[in-house]
Amino acid sequence: MAGAWVFAEVTPDGPHPAAFELLTHARSFDDDPTAIALGPGATAAAADLGAHGAATVYASDDPVFAEHPGRPAAHVLAGLIEAEAPDVVLFAQTYDSRDVAGRLQGCIGSALMGNATSIADPRHARAEIFGGTKIVDVELAGPAPTLILLRPKSIAAEPTGGTARIVPLEAEVPEDERGARIVERHEEAASGPRLEDAKVVLAGGRGLGGPDAFAMLDELANEIGGAAVGASRAAVDAGWVPYSYQIGQTGKTVKPEVYLAAGISGALQHIVGMKGAKRIVAINKDADAPLLAMADLGVVGDLFQVLPALTEEIRRRKGS
Amino acid sequence: MAVTLFWRRARARLEVLRAARPAARTDHPGARARRELSHVLGQRKLFQKAAPGVMHASIFWGFLVLLPTIVEAMLAAIDRDWTLPYLGHVAWFAFLQDLFATLVVVGVAIAFAIRKIQRPDRFRGSHMEEADRILLTILGIVTTLLLWNASRIALGIPVHPDAAAVAHALSVLFGSGRGTDVAERVFVWSHLLLVLGFLTYLPRSKHLHIITAAPNVYLAKNGPRGYLEPLRIDLESADADVQLGVSVATDLSRKQVLDLFSCTECGRCQEVCPAWNTGKALSPKLLIMDLRDQVANEAPLITAGGAGIVELQPLVPNAVADQVVWDCVTCGACVRECPVDIEHVDTIIDLRRNLVMAESRFPREAETMLRGVETNENPWGQPASARTDWTASLEAIRVLQPGDPPPEVLFWVGCAGAFDERAQQTTKSIARLLTAAGVEFAILGPRERCTGDPARRMGHEYLFQTLAEANVETLNGAGVTKIVASCAHCFNTLANEYPDYGGRYEVVHHTELLSALVAEGRLGPNPAGERGSVTYHDACYLGRHNGRFDAPRDVLRAAGAAAVEMPRNRERAFCCGAGGARMWMEETEGTRINDTRFAEAEATGADTVATACPYCFVMLDDAAKAKGSTVRVADVATLLAESTLAEPGG
Repeated sequence: MAGAWVFAEVTPDGPHPAAFELLTHARSFDDDPTAIALGPGATAAAADLGAHGAATVYASDDPVFAEHPGRPAAHVLAGLIEAEAPDVVLFAQTYDSRDVAGRLQGCIGSALMGNATSIADPRHARAEIFGGTKIVDVELAGPAPTLILLRPKSIAAEPTGGTARIVPLEAEVPEDERGARIVERHEEAASGPRLEDAKVVLAGGRGLGGPDAFAMLDELANEIGGAAVGASRAAVDAGWVPYSYQIGQTGKTVKPEVYLAAGISGALQHIVGMKGAKRIVAINKDADAPLLAMADLGVVGDLFQVLPALTEEIRRRKGS
Repeated sequence: MAVTLFWRRARARLEVLRAARPAARTDHPGARARRELSHVLGQRKLFQKAAPGVMHASIFWGFLVLLPTIVEAMLAAIDRDWTLPYLGHVAWFAFLQDLFATLVVVGVAIAFAIRKIQRPDRFRGSHMEEADRILLTILGIVTTLLLWNASRIALGIPVHPDAAAVAHALSVLFGSGRGTDVAERVFVWSHLLLVLGFLTYLPRSKHLHIITAAPNVYLAKNGPRGYLEPLRIDLESADADVQLGVSVATDLSRKQVLDLFSCTECGRCQEVCPAWNTGKALSPKLLIMDLRDQVANEAPLITAGGAGIVELQPLVPNAVADQVVWDCVTCGACVRECPVDIEHVDTIIDLRRNLVMAESRFPREAETMLRGVETNENPWGQPASARTDWTASLEAIRVLQPGDPPPEVLFWVGCAGAFDERAQQTTKSIARLLTAAGVEFAILGPRERCTGDPARRMGHEYLFQTLAEANVETLNGAGVTKIVASCAHCFNTLANEYPDYGGRYEVVHHTELLSALVAEGRLGPNPAGERGSVTYHDACYLGRHNGRFDAPRDVLRAAGAAAVEMPRNRERAFCCGAGGARMWMEETEGTRINDTRFAEAEATGADTVATACPYCFVMLDDAAKAKGSTVRVADVATLLAESTLAEPGG
């Protein structure tokens, strides 16, 4: 049985959700995977990690891991790996974990693979490239453990209801292994889900005709629940919604499950920002709009009739 | 004493110049000398504005003619009867002296009329009081000269009273007594003191241009203005010490420093700048002034080799803010207007090069473009296989395969032309027209890459270099000799910049090729008849940067269009707002450049705005849609295809 470790990021609200996905994945080739949780709240997070299949959780609540990005975690991991010799360490493909994995590789010199979408065993993983059009099977060579970064949401997390054995870590991070210190955090205020994270994105374009029509999208987003509202560059340039709404080449890139475009013709600059959507719904009164051609469901019609009708129908079905 | 003081101050400036990077700008001395004659002696660029042109030429030519007068005054100051050998005795010189001294007075009067009455906006941010001081000194110099001559005439000193009409007329002010003797001494000495005082003042003032302008014009860029000098980054050789653009004052080239010392703050650049005119932070004039001030402040440090207790400060953001550097559309209007050939755009690109390559500091929204160019070799990150998608609706377009014999003409489609839905119309029109005219052409298809222009204008020289080398390898490998490019930016890069990387081809723009085909009778006649009025928008990288103004207009005429011109056309055309990689950045300050240009086009009353570059097309079309205008935006090629080919274009 391969020794699989999971680097579980700890946030103020508990373990990062991707940690549960990593554990679910690790259980496919190790019945008793180990999780490493570092930073304030790590011990408290162990219960949740156990409930998702971690047999052992190495935990340290030392604030040094929160105050210094990457380096202390890589340092402690390297020491632990030397002592315990696991076969593979899994990371989530997030900014913080990427930082730790890269530094760890610098310490131990193992093979590191990024962007994996599934892992067969400690030496074999799979990635999708060119926007998911090509699948690459990768074999990892070199000394153990291999380091693999798994893309979040590649699989669904499955709870096991287990309990983890907690091993407190006596973290000793010397001054010269700490590196940069975080002096300030700035969070941009936002209501609703972030555009980049939302499962459903509703975007409006020039066809909405003015800022007031965005209320229709807000209402629909409310009914769907957890949907975010975005916009094309034309709507942002016209000043109808702020720049933070903009999806496209010079705005945000979104990859939702469902992307609904209302009154957006689909200039290349816009398509670049949403072509990764799993399902595309386009509403446009111009049947020649390029976005209709690439949509899974294209509605040629007046969005001022279609959108309220859609909202009404969702409301009706939820009510019944 | 004055000369010593002048020399000491001038040497300080000279040493700053010497400490700068050498600029290789001495090739083609003939062309440089000709420019000297036309721009300096002929004052050609100054006459782009009538009144200021007359004003400056009067003073400048007066200054040249009156140079010997300084020596004459020096001699006469020592002894009233001494004068210049030969010149001091001839009537024609007395005539010229009198005439030009008067012209300078007229010139100063015009200057004050412009500055105090007309008050053009181009002076906003300039040092107005310094200019007043300079003008008053000049006025003082020539008035004392005229009065000196007048007093001499009154005293009966032989100075050709008949040739010097103005001085002669003024001589009635003087009697022939003792008072005039004193007046003559006072005027010759005050004339001299003003001249010498002015000399010592020069090196620290913006008026230094009377010394720096001539060499600056000589060192200006030869050939197309769209060309950028390469950096040649070699990652392989470890000892390569490439300067990644300009960070601190000592990174500037000698030409760039001379630019700073040549600026007189006349603001002609500011007046034509699309950024400034739409309320952005950038003014080319203020950029040059701010850089100059920092260089002047750091002069002791610069001449000491940049070492010392205090270090040289980065020019961005100390002299100019980051935003200023990113506001530029590289349209080159400023460079074209500048009477002393300051090259604002090249300096801006050098500042960007450092920000992008050394600091990774640039507007975030442009990252998608750079990443797309880097990974997929086009700004939109589209797959290379999609480059031929536009050919689907057309009859067989030949895609040049490795090993194929080279075509007569290679059609360089460009990324916009291949991927952008609107630009594809143009691409299809060109392909149909070439087919109809029997031109044997092929495209590179998936083997074509971005020319690197957006990366280069953004400051990412290394990425540009990589693409240039790869494209040249493909083109040379295919034996390509002639290229027709549809995008003005591709055209400029292929024609002017690829020779630096070993790619030498005959490059024409599609409007040039189409115009030639029309002239040869291979396209047309025009079955569709009149097509209403069309106004043509000059693409900066086709027009101002490369001098291609007539071909697109000829094609429009062949398409049966009644052409109307916008107020700003040809060399003075106003940018669409997409150049200099601005296509990939957000425009949040002030009004939008494309809206401004479209409004100008709409005001001509034309039904159609014709473009010759996909960037202009997309920008102006966006502006038309945003405004809900009925005016159509279309490429010149599409209009020609519609009127000369049987079925409608598209």
